[in-house]
Formats: sequence, C-alpha cells, structure tokens
Amino acid sequence: MRSSTRRTRIMATCAAIALVGGISTVGVVSAAADTPSPSASSTDSVLNVGILQDIDSANPFTGVAASSYEIYQMMYPTLTNYAAKDFSTAPGIATSWTESADHKTWTYQIRPGMKWSDGVPMTAADAAYTFNRVINGKYEQTNFGNYVANITSAEAPSPTTLVLNVSRPTPNMTHLAVYILPEHIWKNVSESQVQSYKNEPAAGQTIVGGGPFLLAQRVVGQYIRMVRNPNYYGKAPALNEVDFRIYSNGDAMGQALKKGEIDFADSLEANVFNSLKNVPGITTVPAIYSGFDELAFNTGAALDTGKPIGTGSPLLKDVKLRQAIGWAIDRQTLVDKVLGGLGTPGSTIIPPLYANQHLDPANPVTYDPAKANALLDAAGYKMGPNNVRVAPNGTPLSFRLNGRTNSPSSMKTVQYIQGYLAAVGIKATVTNISEDALTQKIGEGDYDMFEWGWVVEPDPNYQLSTFTCANRSYLSGGSITANLSDSFYCNSAYDALYDKQGGQTNPDERIATVKTMQQMLYDDAPYILTYYYDDLEAYRSDRFTGFVPQPAPNGALLFQYGTYSYENVTPVSATSASADSSGVSSALIIGLVVAVVIIAGLVFALVRRRPATGVDDDRE
Amino acid sequence: MTATTPEARPRSARAVTWTRRRRSWARTAKAFGRSRSGMLGLGIFIVFALLALLAPLLFPASELDVTKATGPIFGPPSLTYWLGTDDSGRSVLALVVWGARISLLVGLCATVLSMVIGTSMGIAAGHYRGFRGGALDRLTDWFLVIPYLPLAIVMASVLGRSLLNIIIVIGVTSWPGTARLIRAQTLTVEGRPYLERAKALGAGNLHQMGKHVLPNVMPLVLANTTLAVSISILSETTLSFLGLGDPDAVSWGSILNSAFSAGAISQGAWWYLAAPGVCVVLVVLGFNLIGRALEDILDPYGDGA
Repeated sequence: MRSSTRRTRIMATCAAIALVGGISTVGVVSAAADTPSPSASSTDSVLNVGILQDIDSANPFTGVAASSYEIYQMMYPTLTNYAAKDFSTAPGIATSWTESADHKTWTYQIRPGMKWSDGVPMTAADAAYTFNRVINGKYEQTNFGNYVANITSAEAPSPTTLVLNVSRPTPNMTHLAVYILPEHIWKNVSESQVQSYKNEPAAGQTIVGGGPFLLAQRVVGQYIRMVRNPNYYGKAPALNEVDFRIYSNGDAMGQALKKGEIDFADSLEANVFNSLKNVPGITTVPAIYSGFDELAFNTGAALDTGKPIGTGSPLLKDVKLRQAIGWAIDRQTLVDKVLGGLGTPGSTIIPPLYANQHLDPANPVTYDPAKANALLDAAGYKMGPNNVRVAPNGTPLSFRLNGRTNSPSSMKTVQYIQGYLAAVGIKATVTNISEDALTQKIGEGDYDMFEWGWVVEPDPNYQLSTFTCANRSYLSGGSITANLSDSFYCNSAYDALYDKQGGQTNPDERIATVKTMQQMLYDDAPYILTYYYDDLEAYRSDRFTGFVPQPAPNGALLFQYGTYSYENVTPVSATSASADSSGVSSALIIGLVVAVVIIAGLVFALVRRRPATGVDDDRE
Repeated sequence: MTATTPEARPRSARAVTWTRRRRSWARTAKAFGRSRSGMLGLGIFIVFALLALLAPLLFPASELDVTKATGPIFGPPSLTYWLGTDDSGRSVLALVVWGARISLLVGLCATVLSMVIGTSMGIAAGHYRGFRGGALDRLTDWFLVIPYLPLAIVMASVLGRSLLNIIIVIGVTSWPGTARLIRAQTLTVEGRPYLERAKALGAGNLHQMGKHVLPNVMPLVLANTTLAVSISILSETTLSFLGLGDPDAVSWGSILNSAFSAGAISQGAWWYLAAPGVCVVLVVLGFNLIGRALEDILDPYGDGA
C-alpha cells in the first residue's frame, strides 16, 4: 500500500534544521518548542501520534511519503484489505470476488448501503470511476499504474457489483491497493488540475472520505488532525480523533512521549528507543517490519530507451566489483551498531517478514574482507598508491557515496560503508544530502552509490518492478524524469521473469518465479542489502490499549497495511491518571547548560565591540 | 642629508620604517605580556593549537574509523576512555582532539578571508569619495543587514559540503562588521595632513591606501582579527551542527551534531555533548581574552593605553 514510498525514517530537511538552529546553537530543542497544539482538548479519546516525517501531499495521486499513505488508508477504503494477522486477503468494501472461467473478468460484490462522510451513497460506481481514472489517466498512473497494468476497464453494472476486465490472468487482483475516491468530488478535479490538487480541508470541513477517519486539519510541518468518520462502513472506532504531531528530532519525540504530550511514537532510532524501555507507563515494541536498507550502485544509468545518461562511474558496471564489495561489508556489525541490534542482516529484496516469498540465498555473501581483496585482485583491480586500487585502464577505484541527511541511521551507515570499502582499497567520498536532492540525482543518474531503503508490500509485484528496464528514467517534455528504478539495472532475462510472474495465477509457481528473480538480483548485486530493520514503536500503555499488531503477534502497531489499530484502540479507564512528574532528564539539563554557555560566549563575542567614544590618541 | 654617515645603521627610508615598526611590535608584545588575561587567553590557544598539531601522534587516525571502534556504545568516562565513548564506541577524547584541528583550521582560515575582504572593502570605502565610495558603502550595508545564519545555510547548501566551502561561507558572510570599523578608521587617517602632502606629491590611490592608510589601520585589523576568530569558530560549530560541514571531517560542531542525532540526550550521555561544547567555550574565551588585551593596547580609540 505504501510501497511506492521510499521510506524516510527521520527528520525533515534543511528548513527544519534551520529552525532548530535558530533556537539554539547547540540545538538542544526542548520538546515543548517542537510540539504543536492541534486542539486544547486532551480527552482520552484523542490519540496523539508522534511522527518524524510530514506527509508530502494529501492527494493520493501525488504523495509518496510513508506518512502520506497512512493518511490515505485512514481516509479512503480499498476493495480488499490485508488481514492484520498474516497479510492474507480480507474483505474491504468488497465482500466477495469471483474470477471468470476464462480469467478475463473479475467480479466484486460491493457492500450495500454504504455512505461517504457527506452522506452521498458510496457504491460500485465510485470504485469503477476510480479504476477508470487510473487506467485512462497519465498522472494518475504514477502511484497506482502498477496495480492496473493488466486491467483494461472497470464497470459498475449495479451499485453492488464491480467488474474489472483484465487482458490476461492476473495474480494480484485481490491486492489492489487503489484508494476508492468519491466520484462526486473528484469528477470536478480535471486531469490538468489533479497534479496540483491539494485535497486539504477548508475551515470547519473535513475531506470527504469513506475510511474510519477523515482529514480535518493540516498545518504543514506541525500536525495533521484526523476525526472519526460517522458514516464509516465498519465498526465505529472508540477514538474520536487521531492527531499526528510532526517532530524534527527523534530525541524530542522520545521526550514528548515520556512527558505524555504524545501517546504513540513511530520510527524511533535505536538509542532513543532503548532509553524509553523500563519507563513506567510506556510499552516499547520492536516490531518486525517489511523494510530494508541497501547500498545501491549506479549500474549504468540510461533512459528507458537505452540512451546513457548521468555521471556514474563506468567501473560500477562490472558485476565482479559489485560482488566483491558485497564481501567487504559487515552487515552484522551494522545491525549491532546502527540499529542497536534491532534488525537482521540483509540479503534479498523481499524481506523475511514475508516468509513464503523471501529467498534465503543458498550462496550467502558474508563479511570476508580477505575474500573481497582476493576477488578484486582476480578481477584485475591492483592496489595502487595511497591504498586505493586501480582499474586495468588506470582509473582509481574512487567513488561518490551519498547518505541521507534526513536519517541519522543512513548517515551512520555510510560512515561504516566508507570504512569497510577503505579496508579493501576502495575510496568512497561521502556526501550526505536531503532525500529530495538525492531523488533528483538518482533520476538523472548523477551518482555512484547511495544508501536508502524500501518498505516492501505484501504482494511482490511492485518491489520487483523497481528493477525492470522499462522503469528506468524517461524523457518528459525534454527533461529527464525519475521513475522507480534507482540502480538502472537492466536485464532482459529479469524482465521476462517479471512479465511471467505478472501472469502466474498459481501461487506456488509465481513464488518460484519471484525467488528466481531475487536470486538473480542477489548475484548481479545492483543493490547490496545492508539490513532489514525493525520498526521501533513505543506507546503510553497507561492511557491506551487494544493495539492490533500486523502481523500477529509482534508486527507493527501503526503504519501497517490497514487501519486495524486505529479502529480498535480504546482509552484505559481514567483511574490511572498519567504521572507527569518525571521531569526533565539530567542530560537535557546539561545539554541546555552547554547551549546557554555557548550562546553566552557568542553574545559576549558580539557585544565585545565597545562604542568608539575615545579620542584619537594618535598612536603611530 | 648631504652625505652618508659612517655609522653602520641602515638609513634607507624603508629601513627606518621597519626599525620603527619593530620597536612598535616590541612595545606591543611587552604590553601584552603584562596583560594577565591576555596571557591566559594565549595559553589556552597554545594548548589547543598543540593538541591540534599533535593529534595524529596522540591518537592514530584509525581511532576515528567507526569500523575499527572497539569501545562500548555510549560508555561513560572511564580510565580507558577519559571522556567516554560515542554511539559507535569511539573515544570522545580522540574525536575532540581531532576536532580541534578542523575547528581551529576553519576558524583561522575563515577569519583571514573575512579580514582580507573586510579590510580592503573598508579602506576602499573610506578612501574613495562619490559614487565609488558610496557603492562600496551600500554593499557593506547590504551584507550587514542580511540575516547571517540563513545566508550561511543557503550558501553552504548551494556550494556543497566541504572544508573549503565552509571557510568561504564563513569568510564571505562575516566581513561587513570589519569593513565598517576599518572604514571609520580610514576616514580619520585620511584626514591627517601628511596624506594631503602625499597627494600633492602625486601619490596614486593605490599608493595612498597601501602605503599610508593600511599600516595605520593594521593595529585595529589585528585586534579585530582575534575577536573575529572566536566568531568564526562559533559559526563553524553552528554550521557543522546543522549538518552543513564536511561529512568526512570531525569538528566540534559535527561531534555535537552526531551526539544530537544519535539521541545522546535521551541516553543521558552528557560527556558526548559536554566535551565538544566545553572546548568551543574555552577556545572562544581564549581568543576573546587575547583580542580584548590586544584591543586595549592597539585600539586608537581604546582607553587602555
């Protein structure tokens, strides 16, 4: 559902940092300074969720950030859902579905009597409208095109029947993560307007939706208010409101949770997470998760037409070099030191969370610098001056490596990678840039290596599509536009397999194909997976209970493929009033003291200059 | 002036000037030596300069490599790690000592750049009249009113993150104050009669500025430089803390940055924040003491001497 998001785990970009800097030189930001106040009410039925990433757009055709998808799935229903327990298919607004004998038609039974939040009936016609809009749209294809690749048209013969016609047998027809939009609202948003359409609420009005919660208010960079939808077709949630508060720093978010300003904190860094353990009233959850991080290579940037672009080092086209780098990286240490042990070393692009699809390679690449050195020697990369190897054509093995300023984990990981590469005679020049800037560079092929990650959807189609030749960057109106491929991997055998799995309706056969593709990527190494990380979440168990993990029993509590927790969370009875007496930690005080001292020093330095009142004493 | 005297003393105009300048220097040095706070500042500076120079001998560069770190994560100060360890298990003491190199280097280089720009702009703005002087003056005003931090952040983001760029950013954003000061002094110097005489004898603009004004504003430049160093070091710390420094170079600001993003506050790892913070304070204090003492001695407007 939010697989189209490269997940940004921490912290906004320079703008936010600049704000922090404006407050204090050392940047010890008190949690209070960072905390918005969406509403004065602190009633028990408002769940305050701390997040580190603002939504990038409330328009589902535009947004790509993980947080945006959380908002979309709260606002808009889908035909089917992923079950909380095990990601199996569960009914959404469709209660049952049948495939025709010739595999060309899918018929969905839509619940009767549903209403949008403004009272207008929600029917199969809305679903048909949404699918046709994506199928026939251009801009609408960006986020949802991969789901409708085989769908030729959508029809609604009756308010409770939706028919999707497909060009060939299609395996993922029960996993269509396309948000069903209200036709009576969106028909007024033309094709030319949709790209700039904000979909944000006007004063006092919520966005018209059909999910359990509705977007009521958004203040960019501060908070997002979601209120309960009275017309939701499912069970009415106990919560009146879910407020997402955006923090620019994980430490501040941890403090806010301790002080009770928020009830839930998502995507914590390991160090902050560990500091929340054993705090009375707080439950910490190292949730198993579907995300991975990787070291990605520019394997030869080119447009989808095959025309080379960008500034990538041609040396990285050599699969032997990429494989050797795989042996040079100590993934276990990365897990221990960067993730604080809360994750597992990475291997293939479908994470082990999806056990039946994940391939555990039979030829595991482990940490073995001696082997890496031997492979590099054998491939003709001889050690040159300054302990940097030199390619047979005389070029030194010196590459650019981009980390992301948005993520402390990323910046830390690239430091380690730089060290590991140096140990085998490869020089990496680290530059940390914002994710926006990196997206741009990747799209234009203006990079050698970078560190980033994906959150992988239960259906593998989307993730696999990020390595196809067709998903390389393309020309649009004369300028290069980024597509999903960020390694520019292009292999006709892989593309054939991708096409094959897109039509394999037998689950076992499809999984076999998917595993072959994973092995292919593992051996060709356009990515070297560093780790599969846990989603580190913590919440005030003295205030709220009833979170539903996905998958059971130790999966994520929020930011799932579904809205199970929001629908089931209930306030703990008011008897145990929250203890706010914890006060400020000593470290915070020390940090503030240091900040004050430095500011005092700065002021002293600036005020030093006395007014020139004396007379010229004519010293020569 | 009719014939050369047999004395061995050099008699050329240049030599006379230099003798006078040497004496002036000696007098200044002596006065400085009498200033207790000035000497304290100098002592602090020398200690940190020595640490910076000797860093590779005290701590091998491999101590900065996260992949070779062996210490505990967020270990408190102990006998092995005097200032504790960071989130990767590196010794904070080693980081701080290596950080001194970058912080001092950037601070000094940026100050030199800022002084060169500020002094030439100031002298030129004071020397030229009419349109040229006015234009230079407005330019200084313009730079003076631009909020410093946003400009520095924008410049650092545009130029990219490297040591040289951070020096340029600080140098280019911090000169207008100096230019103002120098311009004022230039105006008083230009009012003196001997410049009138020089002009009458046909001295060009460059000659007047270079040979007559510059030597006279030099003491002020010097006093101002030491004060500007502390501001440059604070600026470097600020920009590095904001993540705009060279990611490969450890500086005090970048240590604070990593401490902050690694959650040192939540972890209670005070040593990780306090060590670089105290170093910044000490060095800034040191330069301010030196600057203040020098200003007392050299500033023509000062009440000190």
